[in-house]
Amino acid sequence: MKHLARAAFLALFLALCAQAAPGSAQDPSFQESIFPVGPLKPVDSVLAVKVGQTAPDFTLPAINGKKVRLSDYRGVKNVVLSFVPAAWTPVCSGQWPGYAIAQNVFDKNDATLIGVTVDNIPTLYSWVKQMGGLWFPVVSDFWPHGAVAQTYGLLRSDGVSERALVLIDKQGIIRYIDVHDINTRPDLGVLVKEMGKLKE
Amino acid sequence: MKRILPIFLMILALSGVKAAQATQASEAPVSQPIAEGAPFPDLKLNGNLSADQSAYLGLPAPGKTQRLSKIKAPFVLLEVFSMYCPHCQREAPVINELYNLIAKRGLAGKIKVVGLGAGNSLDEVEIFRVKYDLLFPLFSDPNLTAHQAVGGVGTPYFYLVARDPKTGALTVKLSRLGRMASPERFLDDLVNAAGLSQEDAK
Repeated sequence: MKHLARAAFLALFLALCAQAAPGSAQDPSFQESIFPVGPLKPVDSVLAVKVGQTAPDFTLPAINGKKVRLSDYRGVKNVVLSFVPAAWTPVCSGQWPGYAIAQNVFDKNDATLIGVTVDNIPTLYSWVKQMGGLWFPVVSDFWPHGAVAQTYGLLRSDGVSERALVLIDKQGIIRYIDVHDINTRPDLGVLVKEMGKLKE
Repeated sequence: MKRILPIFLMILALSGVKAAQATQASEAPVSQPIAEGAPFPDLKLNGNLSADQSAYLGLPAPGKTQRLSKIKAPFVLLEVFSMYCPHCQREAPVINELYNLIAKRGLAGKIKVVGLGAGNSLDEVEIFRVKYDLLFPLFSDPNLTAHQAVGGVGTPYFYLVARDPKTGALTVKLSRLGRMASPERFLDDLVNAAGLSQEDAK
């Protein structure tokens, strides 16, 4: 009888282990891993750049081990900087997976995306890997902490950045800025229309 | 043996719990799905339908706003999705397969397939449609109005809705969260839930 009971517990243990694996490692929406953030102050910084001015240049490390310099895109491609507040948070973990399927939309507008957060490289690497990878460079504004976000006036008082989109044309001029309510996702359609205007 | 039985029952119960947690879906924080057998709201649907898609749904003219009850079919399969949900992205081609399978089994006149983009603008829905070359009509729900009306469910979520041909009243026949195991098995479930038989196929 004791043997049977032991066998049953072993079976229970194996059953649980076997099912734990697919839910965690292979689930690219990884909702269970996301830290629940409550509602936050919609905007908590003062914008330091404006439409019509040259976008402040920066060089930041990317998760592929290379460096990304904004001015390298000058004369080559329009650029959308997508600042998101932090890795592993609810809205951010939805926003970029949407951009992941929209490369053709950016290509059509001769634009690329650069994803920016104040997280460090290992964190960003793991987060993006969990998303199943992204077609655009993701850079770390970790050190000096949030320096690029600060330059653009997008660093919040708690050290994360705003959820913001900055559209920069091939001349390096800022053409559109959306410092979005941090709690909600910007409509990609609006950004697409703004990119379309650069052709005019 | 009597002592073993409860243990095995416990194993089964816990397995069920884990299986539910592993549902391939983006869970919604406050989700109250509409149960099978309950009435379904006559949703206002907004979408840029092509003439072909309007014809598919039996709608008079390609207008931007439609009512769910105006779709001329005994059953509508409504998928609640978001272009931002990776599970929905991976499910998209599978629903195309299901759409083709429904036609292949002669059920195209009985079950119509539509998608509702929860929190997605018309542009976002269009990006999703183009990306996956979707065959079925998609509607946009940017302010989550329809999403709330159907229980604020996680995505993808499937409702099979029956329409009373006389009154236009809508009733839920199948209510399910998460990706389907396969289009074949899912269609079997739909046919069973709808009470359709092989004779219905023409």
